[in-house]
Amino acid sequence: MFDTEGMVAAQTAEALNIVDRRIVDRRARLRLLGERVAPLVGAHERTLGLLEELTSLFPGGVLRRGSIVSVTGSGSTGLALAVAAGASAAGSWMAAVDDPELGWAAAAETGIVLSRVLVVDPVPEEWSYTVAALIGAVDLILVAPRRRVSDRDARRLIARTRERGSVLICRGGYWPSGIDVQLEVLSGSWQGIGEGHGLFRSRRVRVNGGGRGAASRPRSSELLLPGPTGAPVRV
Amino acid sequence: MLPCGSDVPSRYPVRAVAAAERTLVAWCPYWPLLAVDALLDEPCAVTHANRIVTSSPVAREYGVTYGIRTRTAHQRCAELTLHVRDESREVQMFEPIVAVLDNITPRIEVLRPGTCSIVMRGPSRYFGGETKVAELVRSRMNDALAGRIDVRIGVADGPFAAELAARAAAPIRMVPSGDSASFLAPMRIEMLERPELTDVLVRLGISTFGEFASLPAADVSARFGSVGLAAHRLALGLQEHLPDSRSPALDRSAVVEIDPPADRVDRVAFMARRLADELHRRLRREGMTCVRIAVEAETEHGEQSCRLWRHEGMLSSVAIADRVRWQLDGWLNGSPACRPSGGIAKLTLVPEELIAAKGRQLGFWGDETEIDERVTRATARLQGRLGVEAVKVIECKGGRHPDEQLVLVPAATVDLRSTPTNNADSPNADSPPWPGSLPAPSPTRILDPGEPVDVFDADERPVRINGRGQISAPPHRIVAGHGKRFLVVVAWSAPWPVDERWWITGSHRRLVRIQVVTDDGVARLLALEQGRWRITALWD
Repeated sequence: MFDTEGMVAAQTAEALNIVDRRIVDRRARLRLLGERVAPLVGAHERTLGLLEELTSLFPGGVLRRGSIVSVTGSGSTGLALAVAAGASAAGSWMAAVDDPELGWAAAAETGIVLSRVLVVDPVPEEWSYTVAALIGAVDLILVAPRRRVSDRDARRLIARTRERGSVLICRGGYWPSGIDVQLEVLSGSWQGIGEGHGLFRSRRVRVNGGGRGAASRPRSSELLLPGPTGAPVRV
Repeated sequence: MLPCGSDVPSRYPVRAVAAAERTLVAWCPYWPLLAVDALLDEPCAVTHANRIVTSSPVAREYGVTYGIRTRTAHQRCAELTLHVRDESREVQMFEPIVAVLDNITPRIEVLRPGTCSIVMRGPSRYFGGETKVAELVRSRMNDALAGRIDVRIGVADGPFAAELAARAAAPIRMVPSGDSASFLAPMRIEMLERPELTDVLVRLGISTFGEFASLPAADVSARFGSVGLAAHRLALGLQEHLPDSRSPALDRSAVVEIDPPADRVDRVAFMARRLADELHRRLRREGMTCVRIAVEAETEHGEQSCRLWRHEGMLSSVAIADRVRWQLDGWLNGSPACRPSGGIAKLTLVPEELIAAKGRQLGFWGDETEIDERVTRATARLQGRLGVEAVKVIECKGGRHPDEQLVLVPAATVDLRSTPTNNADSPNADSPPWPGSLPAPSPTRILDPGEPVDVFDADERPVRINGRGQISAPPHRIVAGHGKRFLVVVAWSAPWPVDERWWITGSHRRLVRIQVVTDDGVARLLALEQGRWRITALWD
């Protein structure tokens, strides 16, 4: 009498259609919502301050949060301080781990704000714990490991750095892997001092930059490090 | 410009203008000093985090005032005796003093050790006038203090104005009802003790409460947020926070039964911390925060101790636990007459004054940022693990040698969150010049005590410098590491002698320094002292 089967089929098809449309609808809404609640700050915008003189050495001209910066060569202390100086002046805290020889007067001349510096001297067994505790608490961590950092420790510290958004500045080439920006100071020449006269005024150096990803393109810059006032000056 | 009474209602909605309750504040001056048993007629002071908290009248004459550093204080007054602040003892000693007021009113609020307040409404009617209550409180507290100090009493609208009245009292100051705003008007705005706010106000040219009160509330709120608004209400003699219109019927108290009863304070404090955490969680869900809390403790034999605690900011769970500990310290270790006979069996926390949690505007004035909080926490954690000496901060000192200009002090001795005042950001910035010190750029590595080396001239003879500062021959070669490392000198400076502290026999230092550059490109500072060369600093 009635084509019940056909009607049922048609109804089912329509119902399925509606469900389908709803699902599509919901997906679109969900996507829209996702876009709306997405963090306004993109990863590339999560950066720390950097001295203007050093921008040509970093990919994009910025010091990205969560990155590992390695500094090597003769003059690496001055360069490590210069890397940290911009962010420190902009309000970040800095910590120096196990580096008792560091000259803080030079750090102040480079632009580091000494009232936002922690100096931590752990016993060797607690080195990795200390660095881990500081990551996330301070923005800049200056380390100078005295021997090669074990792969396990390095992996753990890198993961923590990336997650918490601090910057690890490692001086002296003992960091095994995962370095984002690699800076090397090629030894330079001192100015202002002669044979039995004058005093140090500045040192002209060439700094080579490399690294992973965007940083892998080789960069190079000529600097006075330190400059006449202690802060780096671009030549 | 003073605010006139008719102005007030137009600025605040009706429910907001409720004048603060009549309050009496009793203030014991020099309380931190009394708590450490210091003698007030001698120059002495109490310090916390290396800064002066309170100083005795004699010390004040020398200029030893609140907030200066201990070293500066010693400079101003050499015979000053310093005591480290002992907050738990302050509370413990204050407890029996407060206890004598128990039969005037049951609701005594301890603002901080040495200062307590009572609400006047009930007692003033019972005893026949505010003046009578004030005199009664004064005589009872003075008896309890046994003549060590004369307590000051202030009565005004609200605890803030009353406390300032107490500080201006000699020895009783009554501010008539409704006159608090004009009482406060000529006072310096710094009395708010919120430097982050008052610094800005003073820079804007607003230096008294009267000038601040005459600003429109909406503008204050727009510029300074909830902190500024609360201060503005205080300046007008109103209640600090808007009274909450939500129904107070809900019982928000948190109770814990302690079984077996605890007779040690630390055990109760531990429970209090957990209880406070729970209370906080509950209040946070409702979007409330608590500025006054009642702590009630009951022993197994039914004795009770109840105190109200107030905090200007918000009571964190740690702060609540601290207050529980202070209160019970005073009770359990007090005089035998008022000591309870059994352990504590029940602890109740009743949030008394709730306000809407507006959050705190972090970092607006650049001092207490969330980051500073995190640094403080990490510091505490590292100090716990590595020892207090392992975490240090830098202080500038001034000096002639690179290793003398800055000094590392344990982070525990400074308050990391306070804005540094004396910690100049570059060494030798504000200090007098140090002739003979190294000019910029400073060395990046400082070797202390220095690496011993030998310096030879081109003919392999050791280089010497005579008493007149003349070098025997140009330096040519440096031998370091006990004859293992050789460095060829490329450039060198003229020697410059340093002869210092010759007037003190023990610390006389006479040395000659030269800067050298070697063939590896590193610059070094060499010092010749007592016939021996050392590398004392590097420019790396």
